[in-house]
Amino acid sequence: MAVLPVIASGRDIRLDLFRGLALWFIFLDHIPNNIVSWLTVRNYGFSDATEIFVFISGYTAVIAYARMMQREGWVRAAARIYRRVWQLYVAHILLFVAFSAQVAWVSIARDTPALIEEMELLGLGQNPYQAILQAALLKFRPVNLDVLPLYIVLLAFFPFVLPAVVRWPFGVIAVSLAVYAATCHYDWNLPAYPENKVWYFNPMAWQVVFYVGAACTMLGPQFAWLDRFRWPLSVLAVLYLLFAAFIALSWQYNPMEKLIPDWVTRNIYPIDKTNIDILRFLHFLAVAWLVRLAVPSNAPFLRWRIFEPLRRCGEHSLQIFCLGIFLALSAQVVVGQNEDSIVSQVGVSIAGLLIMSAAAYGAAWYKRGPAIEDAA
Amino acid sequence: MKRLVAWVAGVMALTLCAGGASAELKGCRASRALLDLGNPLEIARTAVADERQLRIVAMGSSSTQGYGTTNPHFAYPYQLKMRLEEAMPGVAIHVFNKGIGGQDADEMTARMKADVQPERAHLVVWQVGTNSAIRRIPTDQFAKRLGAGIDIGKSLGANFVLMNLQYVPAVVALPDEEEYARVMAEVAKEKGAGLFNRFEIMRAWYQDGMPYSQFVTSDGLHLNDFGQKCIGKLLSAAIIDTIAPKQLTGAPITPH
Repeated sequence: MAVLPVIASGRDIRLDLFRGLALWFIFLDHIPNNIVSWLTVRNYGFSDATEIFVFISGYTAVIAYARMMQREGWVRAAARIYRRVWQLYVAHILLFVAFSAQVAWVSIARDTPALIEEMELLGLGQNPYQAILQAALLKFRPVNLDVLPLYIVLLAFFPFVLPAVVRWPFGVIAVSLAVYAATCHYDWNLPAYPENKVWYFNPMAWQVVFYVGAACTMLGPQFAWLDRFRWPLSVLAVLYLLFAAFIALSWQYNPMEKLIPDWVTRNIYPIDKTNIDILRFLHFLAVAWLVRLAVPSNAPFLRWRIFEPLRRCGEHSLQIFCLGIFLALSAQVVVGQNEDSIVSQVGVSIAGLLIMSAAAYGAAWYKRGPAIEDAA
Repeated sequence: MKRLVAWVAGVMALTLCAGGASAELKGCRASRALLDLGNPLEIARTAVADERQLRIVAMGSSSTQGYGTTNPHFAYPYQLKMRLEEAMPGVAIHVFNKGIGGQDADEMTARMKADVQPERAHLVVWQVGTNSAIRRIPTDQFAKRLGAGIDIGKSLGANFVLMNLQYVPAVVALPDEEEYARVMAEVAKEKGAGLFNRFEIMRAWYQDGMPYSQFVTSDGLHLNDFGQKCIGKLLSAAIIDTIAPKQLTGAPITPH
């Protein structure tokens, strides 16, 4: 039997930091017309915080469960993964209920049926029984509740890939890319509710981000091989990021948009999010490559106190993610009430990030010490 | 998990003091001429006046379904229902959403009868053209299918309003998108259907300096919340103007 590779122990704090950052971005981006969201990645290229979140989730899933599998066997590791899946499911349902309750509360308390009309979760008003059933089946995911179901499906499938990814990471990448290509080509997706809808984040396409992340955990040492091409790859990555930034900024500035030749627009659009367009994925990979070079895992600034709130949020990603999605809805209501004033946008953004950070510190205090077991 | 419950509960308590929402749509506009549907919509008008009800089928693809919005109720069909109810109190407004993402004129014509007949529609709003243009369906075939679809709906006793392509980067980049828009206008005229000129309305937004990010999602193809709400608002205005013009001046509908 082949000797299994050793999986690095110890926490790579880059993962916490960047996952925390992704969670902050997700919160800021989910507040419509938020001036503070100019700080997030999505304005400067094709990919956004979702890619970061899913990639790091795949990466940390291997860290969390591969060693467990090697020490305690596959059954135990799989059981732990499903315990995690269950937690995610419960969190999602809780979020769904909290969401619905908030909309209902605001509408009833303020006697504003218009808000119910604006915010009403489709189907919940007309056919609540069916909607609740479909929500439990993850087929009904109103408003911004799309990411957790994606994560649930990805992780539910993970036990079957885990043994392969520790042995043949390149093989897993190849299969993952093949499934991704076939999904895009044949237009596969999972069914959703109401009828004829599909998953906004198609798990069969987005798995490519998750499993490339998972494989990268195992390929760490082998990236030294890629480093021989460090310069040409970096130049390509930078050029591609500049191109993507130009396109993304052209959505904001019509004079820039008019400079883009027709043959370029004809070839890049649509830049699909449901099936993670290859342009988005390449954009994320280019960012990841440059971050890997620019930020070694022992970079001193990673431990600066000013980044501690980010790291704390990244350590408790599930709770902070749910909180962020929930707070984004509250923020939307507050901003709407203040007629989209910039002060209110900045105010709710800062308040939301403070609440998320406080919650993360609370979780760290409660847990006392580094969280390992629920790292994925 | 208990921690999570406690937090969400706590945060809810903190944030529930919020309320209200402004439905203002800054920059949502269209010239009067662009809102002329070019058809009196007799059946719909009669239904409102005599039956005090209006049954609308929203036939279409992803725009109708609401892909790209943060809430399907921001999609134009629900916005249409909301605004028609507001403008015509006492008239029962039903809007049946028959949007299926990715479909072109062929596929929608094939289900026209099954989707319109059971709803006993007075009016069919048919959002179409974009997917046919993206798939490069020859325009003569497109025209034929479109005409056939309208014929089916008309035989079931409905008026039609065609909604043409959206003005977004992915559509503008096509070599012949304007040809599809032109064909749709022709077919509408020939078959006695109304035309809601979404393409020109949105082009005017862009030419007035509105950036794509305000009305298009990041995929460069679909309308976002603002785009959908605004199209819903303008479509409602065009329909109200056609079938109940008095409502625009605030005068009540005179009962028969």
